[in-house]
Amino acid sequence: MKKTFTINISGTVFHIEEDAYDVLQKYLINLKNHFGNNEEGKEIIADIEARIAEIFSEKSVDKKMVVSIDMVNEIVEVMGTPEDFAEEEGEEEQPSSAESKRKRRLYRDPDHRVLGGVCGGLSAYFNMDPVILRIIFAVVILATSGAGLLAYLILWIAVPKAINTTQRLEMRGQEATVKNIEKSIKEEVAEVKESYKKFKESDTYSKGKKSMAGAGDVVYSGTKVLLRVIVIIIGVVLIISGFFGLLGIISSVAIGQSFVDGWPLIWSPEIHVPGIFNHFVEPGTVTFGLISIGLLTGLPLLALLFIGTKLVFNYKTNNAAIGLSMVALWLISLVALIVVSAGQVGNYKSQSSITDNSTISCDSCQTLYLKLGEDKYEDYAELDFDINDFKMMVVDGDEVMLGQPRLDVVKSGSNNFTINIKKASRGSSRENAKESAEDIIYNYEINDSTLLFDPYFILDDEGKWRDQDVDITIKVPEGKAIYLGEKMVKIIHDIENVSNTWDSDMVGKIWEMKPEGLTLKEVEN
Amino acid sequence: MKIENAKAQMRKGVLEYCILLVLDGKPLYASNIIQALKEAKLIVVEGTLYPLLTRLKNAGLLTYRWEESTQGPPRKYYELTESGRSFLGELERSWGELVEAVGTVKNNKA
Repeated sequence: MKKTFTINISGTVFHIEEDAYDVLQKYLINLKNHFGNNEEGKEIIADIEARIAEIFSEKSVDKKMVVSIDMVNEIVEVMGTPEDFAEEEGEEEQPSSAESKRKRRLYRDPDHRVLGGVCGGLSAYFNMDPVILRIIFAVVILATSGAGLLAYLILWIAVPKAINTTQRLEMRGQEATVKNIEKSIKEEVAEVKESYKKFKESDTYSKGKKSMAGAGDVVYSGTKVLLRVIVIIIGVVLIISGFFGLLGIISSVAIGQSFVDGWPLIWSPEIHVPGIFNHFVEPGTVTFGLISIGLLTGLPLLALLFIGTKLVFNYKTNNAAIGLSMVALWLISLVALIVVSAGQVGNYKSQSSITDNSTISCDSCQTLYLKLGEDKYEDYAELDFDINDFKMMVVDGDEVMLGQPRLDVVKSGSNNFTINIKKASRGSSRENAKESAEDIIYNYEINDSTLLFDPYFILDDEGKWRDQDVDITIKVPEGKAIYLGEKMVKIIHDIENVSNTWDSDMVGKIWEMKPEGLTLKEVEN
Repeated sequence: MKIENAKAQMRKGVLEYCILLVLDGKPLYASNIIQALKEAKLIVVEGTLYPLLTRLKNAGLLTYRWEESTQGPPRKYYELTESGRSFLGELERSWGELVEAVGTVKNNKA
């Protein structure tokens, strides 16, 4: 028993067997794809169909005859396949332009699907990588807090699934070359044959075995689905953590960058953010170092993101190449960072200082009054930035680097008070360190018997922090005394005295230099 | 270079000429033309003919009219147009020249 269809070719009605119908339909689709969908192609197809109808009519003199698969095969042989035409036409007349203009249609792609094949179909339609589209979709869904999901569901429902070969080829539009059609038809046939074979084999199984296998299948596919869901969840977690981690890194690198460039970005717009880093390292190395750090932390996150998307979307990539290049890039940035840091450390390796001695010409002074000058920076916005007694100040939009000097008092070898100011700095070389030391600005005033010290020394405008130091040494001759002003506590540093008095307790008092050392002088009145 | 290709190239040029030749004088429908060309072993599969007929028709060398058939669907009868006839004349002349040229080459070689 065979099923037959009634078909109409070029105005004539025929009865055709099911298998013959399939072959004929495929053949006509094949021809349509070959000749294209334009006016000329349609006319050619109409002519061919008319001829097919004619041949069928000739064969089926008896009106009740049914078109069989042999007849269809004969038709195909007589009319020829597109490959035959190409051969006869010298293979240069491939109407590929007509083919490439074949209208594309949107289908869901069952072969490349994660959920419903919507993205796969869309990507085929727009001729782009489905992975990109899926990522876009995922981002849109996240960004719209789920509204995008609704769009996906609507597409899932509305867009038809590409089931047969023609639809699959229509889905890709331009790839519907004759050879591709042939190929996919053959693949399809092979697939059908395979499943038929399996079906036949399973038929020979005993019923018990079959149900056993069936149960096993259910367990197997159930586990598979469960595993897939778990994998997808892990993937999503990886994607999210990778994504936000990267976002954090990118923004912090961007802020770090602006930090360096002095853009008023971090605190508030009114405060001009100083290029703090520029006072410590070379501007170029800051950028370089930040990029290296960004890569060092960003690459693993990127890898997370990548693995996550792979888990979720299950697409093929050249894992080895991507992995290796990521590892290589990571190592390169590691090395770069080490080199940069080493270069920076090099900036501190040498030390040099310059010393300025002067005698305080005050013969009549029995007691030298040491006082601290006014802290003129006190009222300015002080940034929370303090390193080795250094302070960052913003004065009229310019940042100023301030350092606290250290003052010591020792016994003088001569009969005069002398003041000794030693400016020291580090640098990549002794010359470099010396230059930095010379760039230190430190002032004090002498008024008769009073010495007024600036509370800070200042680094030159473009000065870099190189662990600069200013050491003030006051040399007191025996028999003479000094008075330490109350504020001097800020800068005096571990002054030796006979009573081992703490610095903070030494201020506000007169100390006399005796042969054994500084001694507290009793207040006479 | 494949011999099939070379042959196909040669046949292709000749094919259009022969279609015009077959149609010269009397209108024919596709099956008649196919028969004539098949007898001359110019075509193997019929499908080759239809694109050519359509192309020639679109080029204004051929025209057709529908004629009812006693058995089966109505038939397309093709015939030469005025420009088709002059085109055929040109082709005939150049065919003569080609045959002559090939003959001359062959004779000179002998």
